[in-house]
Amino acid sequence: MLLEIKGLTKYFGGLSAVKDFHMSVRQGEIVGLIGPNGAGKTTVFNLITGILQPDSGTITFEGKDITAKRPHEVAALGIARTFQLTPLFPFFTVLENVTACFHLHPRSGLLDTFFNTKKYRLNEARIREDALGILRMLGLERFKDEFAVNLPHGFQKLLGMARAMAVRPKLMLLDEPTSGMNWEEISNALSIIRKMRDGGLTIVLVEHNMEVIDICDRVVAMNFGQKIAEGTVQEIRENKEVVEAYLGGAHVA
Amino acid sequence: MKKRWLIVAAVVIVLALLPLFISSPYVIHILNLTFLYIVAATSFRTIVISGQFPLGHGAFMGIGAYASAMAAKWLGLSPWISIPFGTAVACAVGIVIGLPFARLRAVYYAMVSLFFNMGIVQVIHSLGRWSGGYSGLTGIPTLLGFSKTPYYFCFLFLCLLSILVLYRFEHSRIGITWKAIAQSYLIAWSVGINERFYRVFAVAIGCFFAGLVGALYAHYNGVIGTATFSFMATFMLLMFCVIGGMRSFLGPIIGTSVLVLVPEIFRSLKQFSPYLAAGIMIFVVFFLPQGLVSLPGLMLRKMGKRHAP
Amino acid sequence: MQLFIGAVVNMLFLSSMYILVALGFALLFSIMELLHVAHGVIYMVSGYICSFFLTKLGLNQWLAFLLTVLIVSCFGPFLERFCFRPFFRDFDKMLLVGVAISAIVQTTVVLAKGYQFEALPPFVTGIIKWGPITVSLERLVTFLIGGALLLVLVLFINKSKIGLQMQAVAQDLEGALLQGIDVHRVSAIACVIACGLAAVAGGLMGAYLGLGAFMGDYVFTKCLILVVLGGIGSMSGLFLAGLIIGALDAFLPIFLSGSATEALSMGILICILLLRPRGLLGRELA
Repeated sequence: MLLEIKGLTKYFGGLSAVKDFHMSVRQGEIVGLIGPNGAGKTTVFNLITGILQPDSGTITFEGKDITAKRPHEVAALGIARTFQLTPLFPFFTVLENVTACFHLHPRSGLLDTFFNTKKYRLNEARIREDALGILRMLGLERFKDEFAVNLPHGFQKLLGMARAMAVRPKLMLLDEPTSGMNWEEISNALSIIRKMRDGGLTIVLVEHNMEVIDICDRVVAMNFGQKIAEGTVQEIRENKEVVEAYLGGAHVA
Repeated sequence: MKKRWLIVAAVVIVLALLPLFISSPYVIHILNLTFLYIVAATSFRTIVISGQFPLGHGAFMGIGAYASAMAAKWLGLSPWISIPFGTAVACAVGIVIGLPFARLRAVYYAMVSLFFNMGIVQVIHSLGRWSGGYSGLTGIPTLLGFSKTPYYFCFLFLCLLSILVLYRFEHSRIGITWKAIAQSYLIAWSVGINERFYRVFAVAIGCFFAGLVGALYAHYNGVIGTATFSFMATFMLLMFCVIGGMRSFLGPIIGTSVLVLVPEIFRSLKQFSPYLAAGIMIFVVFFLPQGLVSLPGLMLRKMGKRHAP
Repeated sequence: MQLFIGAVVNMLFLSSMYILVALGFALLFSIMELLHVAHGVIYMVSGYICSFFLTKLGLNQWLAFLLTVLIVSCFGPFLERFCFRPFFRDFDKMLLVGVAISAIVQTTVVLAKGYQFEALPPFVTGIIKWGPITVSLERLVTFLIGGALLLVLVLFINKSKIGLQMQAVAQDLEGALLQGIDVHRVSAIACVIACGLAAVAGGLMGAYLGLGAFMGDYVFTKCLILVVLGGIGSMSGLFLAGLIIGALDAFLPIFLSGSATEALSMGILICILLLRPRGLLGRELA
């Protein structure tokens, strides 16, 4: 079990954004986390990665308790994520956006960095190579010197994934990776996600477009901060509660 | 790349030989001050790169100055020891203050820094005869005697060294990390960057150089007063950076040089120099939003247009 | 007891004056997102204009005061039209322009008057005796004038059409524009009020604080403190902050020296802000 979440609860003022949430993720799986807007999916991500601290519950990663860890510590342990609203480094080029994120691997010490030692220069060369490799895999290599702000929306979302991959994660949390994309971009994104899993990554995917969920091995459905169902894609599609939660929201297959 | 360093080398050689052609100690004095202010403005910008506005920078110059001056005057330390001491004190205070302040986001950090600046000035005032209170501290032992020229070479050397160090920081991965934090602390945080550490680190570096400048000034001038380190002085550093161009490393250097030296050209009308400074400010606001650094680029583009068919 | 009552009166006097000046400053900040660095300078110039009317033209004190307020208020629309409107809501540019104006005006005053301090003669002299307690009439009257003015202003902002328009612009510029509110006209009126308030404070405080070319910096500092402590966007926060700062400035000097008072006030202020960056009653900035 790579990731285990037990009894996760978070209140904002008097409202419970997440209440008594359980989830486990096995190594190599693609798990979908679905639910209508406001169900608490992004909050779960924020709690896992340490941007928010839960009011109760535990999160265990590779056997280690990471409930109280801060985002940079969580990243160092091997969890990377993308963000729903695609923040970027607006003053950096596409390539710089990715190379800036190679903070953890390989790690150059402060002294090496300041004195421009051989080790530092080797690291920087490798970082550039690896960054170009990631961009190539995502089909963004031709934009490498373009300012990230100038990219069309779909490519910006892919750039978000590129940045997450720079962390060399074991677990990848993708927050609505296909929102705002057209169908061509979506199927491109899905094939990339499949490639990532084939490369050894475990992935948790937040979506509220039911049609994208097909790629998942398992799906967890949330509503009002709580888990309402869990199972294979087919089971979830047929689950009454899930269908009800979506009535009036995104269309159901 | 090579061409850039040749230009820099040429400038350095010219500056090193300049005193041979200048007979007036007053001009040397102005150049000395310019070197110090360049370091102050550049270190100010270093902190800005990490996404924080250190509107308390002047206070750290003051801490460096007064710590060094008081240690030399009351404890009898040689300036060669008290200056590093003053610098270290400024750096330490910067870290101690930087830690709680780093919890605050941009605007709030700026405000709190500003109030810190004002507070430090008042603290210095309240130290009575030890700090000279309102009238300032006099009788500070000098570093290199009373002639201005030795200081020229000393400050030129230290200025170049400081600029080199700050340049290296900015163009290394440390600088990239700072700029990443400034643009999106959220992304930086989630790729493993301990953004709090890096921001305090930026403040520590900035305050180190601020303290150094203050301490050097104290043992050069022999006299210091809080007016030199007030929030108005910090504002002045901000102006140097903004007018020179905050986006470029050269910005603070050019901004400082222009705003300190150009008014001196019209020295006889010294009292009118704020008008000139204000004029430059208004000019930059209307025509050069990126600062004076963008002037060469703009002019080249204008000239290119004239040659177009 | 006497000391205490004296300090209370001082507190009311100082608070009302601080709030008056800071209110104009806060108005400009929330409506035009302008950090009006030159606000202090307007205060200072008003004091000098009032002094000019008093000493050179020998006018009656109240007449001089009213004239000053009128003249300085009329300066408001010019400010808005030429200095602020071209850069509407471009924070950095307006800051630079403000600094430039500040520098120009301060230098002019220094050239005209030199660096010494002057003092306006007080408006009313004398004391009130109330049993065992003596109170400076001047401070009391100033407080009453300030307080009355503040009341009028609060009513104006909350009840009048223009006041409501100001609030609308401050809260949601786009929404206000869509409603057909003439933002520039509202801004101009805000400038008139801000300048007017600065002028009132300049005239009334001139006797207490004295007049100097750099007096504006001190007042600007107070404005900034009040706005930040009270919280941006909150008028009641401003009032509360004004009372707190007034209280600190009135009571602390009884126990500590002048600069120690300021240092301590700063320390307290910083601690409050560290714990609550948005100010006492401010809304969270995006």
